[in-house]
Amino acid sequence: MNAVLRTQLAGVARRPARMLLTGLAVLVAAFVVYATVLAQQITERSVLNGLSGTPEAVGLVVRNGTITTAQLDRIAALPGVAEAAGRAEAGLEVSGGYLGLIADPGSGPLSVVKVEKGTFPDGPGQIAVTPRTVERLGLTLGASVSADAGTGTAARLTVVGIVAPRDDFGSQGYAPTSTVATLTGSDLLNQIDLRLNGGADPGVVSDRVATLVAAGGSPETRPEVVTGADVRLDEARTAASEVDQVFAVVGAFVAVAVIAAGLIATSTFRIVFAQRMRQLALLRAVGAGRSALARALAAEGLLTGLIAGVTGVLGALAAGHALPALLGVFGWTVSAPGFPIAAALGTVALAVLITLVAVGAPAISASRVAPLEALRSAATTGARTGIGGLRWLTGLLLALVAAAVAGLVAVNLPGPDPEDYDPMPLLLAVVGSGGLAFLALIALGPALVRPVLAIAGWPLRRLGPVGRLAVGGVGGSARRAAAVAVVVALGVTMIAGVLVGGASVRTLAERELAASAPADFELAAAEGESLPAGLADRLRTSADLTGVTPYRRVAAVRVAGASELADVAATDVAVGALPRLGELATASGSIGDLRPGSVVLARFVADLAGLSAGDTLVASAGGREVRLRVAAVLTDMAPLHAGLLLDPADLTGLGAPAAPTGILADAARDGERARTAGLQALRQSSAGQPGLGVAVLADERDQINSALTVLLAIALVLIGLTVLIAIVGVGTTTALSVVERVRESGLLRAVGMSRAGLRTMLTTESALYGVIGAALGIVLGVPYAWLALETTGVNAPLTLPVWQLAAVFLVLVALTALAGVLPARRAARVSPVRALGTE
Amino acid sequence: MPWPNVSIKLRPMQMKVVGHTAVAAVDLVKVYGDGDTAVRALDGVTVGFDRGRFTAIMGPSGSGKSTLMHCLAGLDTASSGQVLLGETDLTRQPDRVLTRARRERIGFVFQSFNLLPQLTAAANITLPLDLAGRTPDPELFDRLVTALGLAGRLTHRPSELSGGQQQRVALARALVSRPEVVFADEPTGNLDSRSGAEVLRLLRDSVRDLGQTIVMVTHDPGAAAYADRVVLLADGRLAGEIDRPDIASVTDALQNLAAAR
Repeated sequence: MNAVLRTQLAGVARRPARMLLTGLAVLVAAFVVYATVLAQQITERSVLNGLSGTPEAVGLVVRNGTITTAQLDRIAALPGVAEAAGRAEAGLEVSGGYLGLIADPGSGPLSVVKVEKGTFPDGPGQIAVTPRTVERLGLTLGASVSADAGTGTAARLTVVGIVAPRDDFGSQGYAPTSTVATLTGSDLLNQIDLRLNGGADPGVVSDRVATLVAAGGSPETRPEVVTGADVRLDEARTAASEVDQVFAVVGAFVAVAVIAAGLIATSTFRIVFAQRMRQLALLRAVGAGRSALARALAAEGLLTGLIAGVTGVLGALAAGHALPALLGVFGWTVSAPGFPIAAALGTVALAVLITLVAVGAPAISASRVAPLEALRSAATTGARTGIGGLRWLTGLLLALVAAAVAGLVAVNLPGPDPEDYDPMPLLLAVVGSGGLAFLALIALGPALVRPVLAIAGWPLRRLGPVGRLAVGGVGGSARRAAAVAVVVALGVTMIAGVLVGGASVRTLAERELAASAPADFELAAAEGESLPAGLADRLRTSADLTGVTPYRRVAAVRVAGASELADVAATDVAVGALPRLGELATASGSIGDLRPGSVVLARFVADLAGLSAGDTLVASAGGREVRLRVAAVLTDMAPLHAGLLLDPADLTGLGAPAAPTGILADAARDGERARTAGLQALRQSSAGQPGLGVAVLADERDQINSALTVLLAIALVLIGLTVLIAIVGVGTTTALSVVERVRESGLLRAVGMSRAGLRTMLTTESALYGVIGAALGIVLGVPYAWLALETTGVNAPLTLPVWQLAAVFLVLVALTALAGVLPARRAARVSPVRALGTE
Repeated sequence: MPWPNVSIKLRPMQMKVVGHTAVAAVDLVKVYGDGDTAVRALDGVTVGFDRGRFTAIMGPSGSGKSTLMHCLAGLDTASSGQVLLGETDLTRQPDRVLTRARRERIGFVFQSFNLLPQLTAAANITLPLDLAGRTPDPELFDRLVTALGLAGRLTHRPSELSGGQQQRVALARALVSRPEVVFADEPTGNLDSRSGAEVLRLLRDSVRDLGQTIVMVTHDPGAAAYADRVVLLADGRLAGEIDRPDIASVTDALQNLAAAR
């Protein structure tokens, strides 16, 4: 070990806390990486243990081919077979809704359901349903309904039991195989599950079954016989591969977090080396070579990376093994992760690598210190704030290329509703441009800090000397501020992107839902028929319904504009009657201009018939004709999947019957209960009237909304990793700055700044890192999110979720301020005499 | 301790802060550490500093001169005894009161200048006033800037100034708030002899022209010779004083102190 390195390591040993601070970001990154590996293991093991749909008792499975009920009986009689369950499913139309009737033995180890109430059906015409199905379809215990399996003949079914399956979709029933076969009118089965006798040899039984099913059938339709273990493994593998896909996405986010950690580590090394500048200069003055110095500093970095990596991995391991026990307390069972040694070593290696890359540039520039620096007084070695010509050039070049790529993408954006469009190349170009823009930000950062600070710091400067000093402190070390702010900006850019993308997609979904699901419920007459008179008035009296809106719909209207279009649906639903219809957006014109003699067109009608707002068209149906002026063109479909939205008078002119063909209504209150109550009110009113269908449009809306929300939440949590590292970086930087500026703190205290004032100043400085980073991040994130959204070609409107972005900004600033609180407190506690005496 | 030029007339309990005393220590004791390792840096010092005079505190290394100044200036708290700034007893006051006193009634000049690198010379000068929320008296500001030769340097940052210029900025900072006392801690320690002499002349001028009270800690007899009076410390105790000192009398006194140990 050379003398220089020995000196350095002695310094590290003297101040271990400072080394920990330097490596903190890398430590967190190593923790996150290894925790992700462990999380994947936990998830996969839990999935493999619990989530296979095939019961444990199934020894053999006959599947993928023509299987008949006759074969089922013969297989059940084979020696070695204890029990055979035929699996089949019938799709039924029951009281205006869909019911999937699944064959099940109902009891014993081969059953996939558990009886909760009543009994499992054992006679023809009897079924059991799941609890949600009871609510959704109104199939209470003892109810008798007419069911049509698409064969044209209706059968009467009686609900004799309520059963709980593994997954309750709210539209499934269970019955013995024979009942299902009778309903479908077919003797074909999807699959046969076999339970074997205790002493039977699975191989022998399998051969017997294979011989039996092979007899008679052609080779193409011959089913295969596989062991239950294989089937379960297949199912588990499918589930696990989904887990793998999810973790691949997680991995991408973790990679960004690791890069952020590298940036932070570079910045902290720079600060730590700057603090030792005089010592390094002294080493140079007494004869240490430049390269020896650089090597020693790099070795110190390597050691830091090693310690940080090992600590992070051990921490993650402890957390990963504590998790199952912790979740066990709350009654959740998850498997413990193993001890993946290779991944652990890999993570430590990654940490070392990142740290080595991070330490490179600071070590080289620190080793270039002039020996004379040792003789200079500390007060005059001001930190360099500007950037050199080469850096300007590189940064501007990067920014230029990023802008050019973004411009190229903008020029090649797909039009609305493109055909055979592959968004991948353009999307990759957007990501590439964003990456380049970020590199430009890293290069130009120090030069950008001052202008951003000039704007962001303005209100602070007005607040008094403490604010002015904080702004001055950040501006005085612009390089440092830039290094931290860039990482904060990285996190904020991603958050802003996700929020903007999410808000735009949500707006798009809402518009589409306004057209397809304008109300919670729809009650519709069969095609070509009308609802009984007075039904709407009866529904209006119900306390469980609100916004009851009758409408008429004509299915086939011919539209003649610049070109002709046949079979377009038209409706006269009153747009003002339902609040959700207010979400409808127009591409041109205004829906408010709709009056007798005018029409609102769905976008596809306008496009295909070559019409735009202000044009005139001729609509005809059943030999009648009306001339209409186009009042507006919508961005998507018209309500109820119609193409034309007309005034009632004009629809009458097209021969629509006087009575409504459908009714829209909302549940009187929010929540599942109110929805069920509203649904029951609708069913009661329409009871005994054949051909009436009730649809719960609200369910569709909820599904889309909750899927979007979950997706956004997951994305934000993952981005949180990068934000966490950014905040660690702010905390570390503030802590190290405080150490470095202890003399300055002492002076301020000596000339009369109070403890609280000093605390406020240092906390404000650390918050300012957040302000600069968040401002840069939002400025960068929003346009890129818009560009990315445009390249996907989904026709989503560009939305700016101002409040959400403002909240992100404030939260980030609050978090970075919080990161500075502890160092600030420490600095304020030091007595001015001690601070002034520190060399 | 017999010493020809020394006369300590005041006895501790009779000490009264009269109109012409700006700051005084009464039986001041400062102990660092405790038990066997305790060090009595100040061991019962009683001394007063007159208004409108330039006093130097001198003594060998470890004599407690810096500790005395820190306690007098409210930077450090004494173990026992009193520090009287005008009518105010600074001992056993909460940090808030000490902070306020430093901000409004005391000025500092340090050995290593201690200017804030991110502020311009002008902003450094007005820093204590800014912290107090006061605006500088423009007449005094101009007068100081002219007297200290800083007129062309106000927009410069400390890194763009020479050591002498930095110390003159520090001096302006100490004087601009019209403090009751300016404490100078080895103000010429980091300067070459010409710049040092200039700073000392400026200190003396501020006493003469502005009626400023200045207490300066130094180990340089040449610097002490600029003062009106020299107070000598040894082993945490008062070891004599010299009125109207010159280099020779101060050097003699210091040599005698060293010989007596």
